[in-house]
This record gives sequence, structure tokens and C-alpha cells, in this order.
Amino acid sequence: MKRRGVLAWRAPWIAALCLGLALIGPGLAGVAGAGEKPKLVVWWNKGYYKEEDEGMQKVAEAFARENNVEVEITFTIQDDLGPKIISALIARRVPDVAFCFFTDWQIAPKFAWEGRLADVSDLINDLKPRYLESHMKTGWLFNKTENKWSYYSVPIEAQALGTHYWKDLVKEAGFDPDPKKIPMTWKEHWAFWKKVQDTLRKKDPAKYGKLYGIGMTSSSRATDTFYNFEQYLLAFRGEILSPDGKVVATEAKNREAIVKTLSFFTSIYKEGYVPSDALTWTDGDNNANFHNKTVVMTPNPSISIPGALFFTNKDAYYNKIGTILQPAAPDGKGYPYLVSVKPIIIPKDSKEQALAKKFIKYVLETKRFTEYVKASNGRWFPSFKDVGSDPFFNDPKDPHIPVVTNQFMKHETRAFYYSYHPAYSQVYTENVWGKAMSRVMTEKWSNEQAVDEAVGRIEQIFKSWK
Amino acid sequence: MNETAATTLARPVAVHPERWMRKTLLGLGFCGPLLCLFLFLVLFPIAFMIYMGLDRDIYSDIFSDPIFIQTLWNTVIFVGVAVNVKMFLALVLSALFNVDHRLSRILSGLFLLPWAIPSLPGILAFRWMLNGQWGIVNKILNDLGFEGYPWLVRRPTALAAAIVYHIWKYLPFWTLIFVAGRRSIPKELYEAGEIDGTAPLQKFRFITFPMLRNLFMICILLSMVFTLGDFVIIKIMTGGAPGDSTHVLATLAYRYTFQMGKIDWGVGTFITALPITLLFIFILIRWVK
Repeated sequence: MKRRGVLAWRAPWIAALCLGLALIGPGLAGVAGAGEKPKLVVWWNKGYYKEEDEGMQKVAEAFARENNVEVEITFTIQDDLGPKIISALIARRVPDVAFCFFTDWQIAPKFAWEGRLADVSDLINDLKPRYLESHMKTGWLFNKTENKWSYYSVPIEAQALGTHYWKDLVKEAGFDPDPKKIPMTWKEHWAFWKKVQDTLRKKDPAKYGKLYGIGMTSSSRATDTFYNFEQYLLAFRGEILSPDGKVVATEAKNREAIVKTLSFFTSIYKEGYVPSDALTWTDGDNNANFHNKTVVMTPNPSISIPGALFFTNKDAYYNKIGTILQPAAPDGKGYPYLVSVKPIIIPKDSKEQALAKKFIKYVLETKRFTEYVKASNGRWFPSFKDVGSDPFFNDPKDPHIPVVTNQFMKHETRAFYYSYHPAYSQVYTENVWGKAMSRVMTEKWSNEQAVDEAVGRIEQIFKSWK
Repeated sequence: MNETAATTLARPVAVHPERWMRKTLLGLGFCGPLLCLFLFLVLFPIAFMIYMGLDRDIYSDIFSDPIFIQTLWNTVIFVGVAVNVKMFLALVLSALFNVDHRLSRILSGLFLLPWAIPSLPGILAFRWMLNGQWGIVNKILNDLGFEGYPWLVRRPTALAAAIVYHIWKYLPFWTLIFVAGRRSIPKELYEAGEIDGTAPLQKFRFITFPMLRNLFMICILLSMVFTLGDFVIIKIMTGGAPGDSTHVLATLAYRYTFQMGKIDWGVGTFITALPITLLFIFILIRWVK
């Protein structure tokens, strides 16, 4: 009885002590660990091939060894890493270095605007002689809290819109599948894919009854939709923003071009040359449909489609899939390729900013970075001229990678609109063009009505970013 | 004896202040960690959310988003149709599974399978079945001589697909609850009814339903709260497509917060649904009491 009484008295104090330890414990651990090596926390996008992750892991280990620091690197797929970085930036509990494939349009413009990213101008200046200029420019962002433009992200690799097609299907339809023989004027180019579909369906309805000529992603779920839309908008000579970041979409010339672009997308869909489900595709669905041979061709902003077959189906990679660039504009002239450049960021709340910059510089050293980009098997094109001149990117035996190299090195390229004004990153996230396509294709709006709604929304978004 | 007991009960209990203090401290000591967790993990986030949601500009911003009003309607349709159809079917099916027969027991075992299947593969399988180009549903329709239909490409059918999946998935759970409810009704009531010559429908109207009414209402309210927060089905089934026309509040709040980095918009979206959720919870608590 007496023992029970003693316990009864002690219990609250024991509980209070436990609670106290739980609360101050982490602080004590921090004090105890004060003498340890500096630690760099790196969040890196998981690659599509294990060689990419292994390569980066080795680079991180080598950096840790050479600099007597600890590097904690984790690899996460972009769909999870994007929200994770956004949450971390909002909560101000950040990694020291973050690299995600969604950073360029979803994270960097908005958080640079809010002053939550570290200024990396010194790093960019060091790398300047190596950069492809249009890539470097994408790191130049506006910080509203300090009211200045500066470099807030370090662009490292990019993608731009190409087109893949099944050579064997084209051949079966009775056409020459050689990439040089695919018509590259606007009207003839699109008529060609329609003709392939019509011919194959007629030839063998049982086998090709559900084959579509054009695998055009037209969904509000996919980022590919705005790649496609804005790339072809340039072909129709339309602009949404002026280089100084003002909305010019309402100007008659631009509105007309936007309507023409939307009409192009909606007409090929309505005519039955695009799978009806393209309105609900995610970014991986055009790849899946292409690999399943339910579409003859698909425009895609990286060479992930043939790349996915490189290790498993060499015949398809080398002989059956063709890669070409975009057709000439309807006026017969060329137009610039939009490049989506993937950057590394350092959050402003990082306590190891100097070390983070040292790490990025280490990763981007020519030989080291060449090996890393090569491991992605050509999915990404490097933002550095010296890396891009590696023989890997110019191998004449490869039917895909040199096409991309040619696109980046020999054609005019330019950044997406979020580099002109960060508000445009919200336009992308809301996927206004996917919404506009759906308005016309499923809700029977006219192209003009859908364009007016989309442009109105863009103006509204820009007003809220004052 | 009775008088003595009554006297004992009526006598005020003498509370020793020191002992009371000791007991209270002991109780607080044991409950403290849990209370702290509740405070930090439940009360603080809710209070913080409400504090963030006090900014009126949020609401003008989210209501100016063209998809927000449609999302509100989608949520009402999703919750209203899914919950009511599901509960009605569960009530009807519980009668079938309440029959004491071997076949009924086998069927009820099979019927539980959808509930046991993990959500993600289930939704993906459902999505593939409904694919307009190569899904099995259209294949069957084609084989029967009908035209296929792009199920997930039109808002009404895409939303209906999500509702059908929700019902398919959760119907077994609620049916099981109602079977348990039916089994707790005293058999004597039915026996008395039979003596009075009641028809089967009258038995349901005058015995079964009145006895199940409280359980039915509680289940409806609980299901409404669960369905209102259902994120996975819409996210995986339609992802808001076509053209962001099938979002519900849960998926839209996710999009605002984690894809657009606008935590205030996400909070505003949840706060819009908060009065309805609180109303359900309030009614639920009153009903349980």
C-alpha cells in the first residue's frame, strides 16, 4: 500500500521528466553534435535509369571524401519530389540542394519571386563561358521581396519537342519511312500522318481499326500539352507575353494565332486522328500508347520513348523507331524551339549555402557531368557547350540523340514564358491550354470562346501577381 | 436493506483534498503526453488553418478560379450520390446476407473482396477497363454490336465512373455493418409480427427500419465525412480531367497546395467545406448521445 502511494506521487514527476526530455532532447543532441563534420542535405530527382542514380551517388561520396563533409543524398521521383520541395520551402525546413524535373516551371519562378531561393549569380558567372545562352537565361528570375532580377537557379540540362514514329507502320502503309522522306512542310506533314492512319485502317480493319495517326497529348493532366501547344503557337507566329513580361495575347495578331493553334489541336482530334482518351492522358500515356503501337507518331518533349527501349529492344531503338524535329511553320519558315531547362536550386533557408555551391560546381565539372548526363541515355541535353560536344551526343550510328543535338546546337532555341514573368508558372500549373482544348472537344465551345476564356484567365493570374 | 442502501448512496462522499490533488496529478501525468500530442497534432493545425483562412482575399482568389464552383458542385454530386446509393444498396443487400443459408455465407465472403483489394490497383484496373480505345468495357460493347464510348473523356461519365468505383469499393463494408445491425434486432419482435400476420415489407417498415434507424443515420453521416475527404479515387481515376472538370475539393486543395505552392488557397478550399463537415460531425455527435 505504501509502495503504491510512493509510485502515485512519483508518476507525475516521471511523466513530466519524460516530456521534458522529449522536448529538449533534440536541442541537446544538437549541442552534442556541434563538433561533427558539416552536413549537406541533397534532394535529387530519381533518374530513369539506375546508372544515373548510381553515378550521382558516387559523385556525392567523392565530394564528401575530398571535402571532409557529410553528404546526405536522397533520390525521389519527380511526382513526389515536386510537392516535397514545395512543402519544405513553405515550411522553411529545407534541403541544401534540390534538383527536380518540375523545378523550372513549378518551383523556381514562384519561390524566387517570394525570395525563398539563394542568389546563385556567382556560380552562374563562373559557369558562364560554358553555358548555352538560352539555357542560362532561364535561371534569371525576379525576386519581389528584394525587387531585383538575378540568377536564382542553376540550369543544367534541357529537353525540347521532337517527334517519334514507327517506321514499320509507315512502311506498311506504303510510304518511305526514312526520316528524310517524311514531309516537313506544315500542311503536308500533318496530312501525311492522317494518310498513314487511313491507309492502315483500310488495309486491315481488324488489326488497325483502333490505330491513330497522331498521338497528340491534349489533356489538362499532362505537362506535354503546354509543350505542344506553345511550340505550335510559335509556328502560327503567336505570342502570349512580350519579352518584358507583359500579356500581349489579347492583341489581334496574337489572338488570331492562338485561335489558329487551338483550332489545329481540336480539328485533328475531332477528325478522329487523335485517340479520344488523349484528353485524359498523363505525361506517360503518350509514351505508353506509342510503345503499344496504338498511335503511329507522337510529339514528345524528350527522347524518353526510344530511350526506354534502348536496353530491352535494340531492334526497335535502331531500326523501327524514327525521330524527327518539327515541321516548318504554316508560312513555310522556321521557328524557335522552346527549351525546358531543368535547374538546381539552393533554398535561401539553407545553412550550408557555400558548401551547396561548392557541391554544384563539383557536380557540373565537365568530365563528371558528362558522365552523369550520358547515363540518362540522351533523355536530357546538357546546358553546357563542352558537355554537348562529347562524341556521345554526335554518334552517327544513333538514330535519335544526334537529332536532339542538332536541335539544340544548330537551331534557334528560346525559353518558355515563365522565364519572362514568374506568374506564367501558374498558367502552366493550371494548364489553361489543356482546359481550353477540353472546352472545345467535350463541351462544344467554339475555339474563339475557349481562347477568350484562357486569355482572360491568364490576365487574371497576372493581376494577382502584383 | 433497501433503506440502508439508499441512505448509503445519498450520503455525500468525503473528498480528501490532498488525495484528490494526488489523483488528479497522477491522471494528468498519464494523460499529459497524449494531451500534448492532441494539442500539437490536432488542435494547433486546425487553429492555424482557421487563422490562415481568415484572410478574405483567399476566397476572392479561389472563387475567381473558373474550376472552383464546378468543383464545389462535383463534390456535392460525388458525396450526395455515392453516399445515398451506397447506403441504400447496403441496406437492401444486408437483408440478403442476413439469411442463414450456406450460399448466402459464400456470397457474403465473395462480396467482401472489393473492400479487401488495395485502392490503387483497383482504381487503375477500373480506369483501364474504361479506356475508350482498348478498354474491356468498349470491347464488350463492340462485340455486342454497339459503338464504344469515351467514358473518362466526358465529365458526366467520368464523374459517374468515380462514383461507381466508390460504391463498388465501400459497399461491402457498410453492408457488413448493417448485417451486424440486423442481427442485433431481437427475434421476438419478428415472431410477434408473424403472429400478427405482418407481410415481409411491413416487417421491414415497422420492425427492421425503426430498429436500424439510428445505426443507418450514423453510418450515413460517417460515410459523408469519409467521402468528402476521399482524394485517391478522383486523383487516380480522372486526375481532374477532362479539362479539370472532375475535381473534388480534396483533389483541388492538393493541386493548389502541393502543385501550385499556394498553401493559402489550399486552406481556403478546405475551409469552404469545413462548415458542412462540422455540421455532419455535430449531428453525428448529437445522434450518438
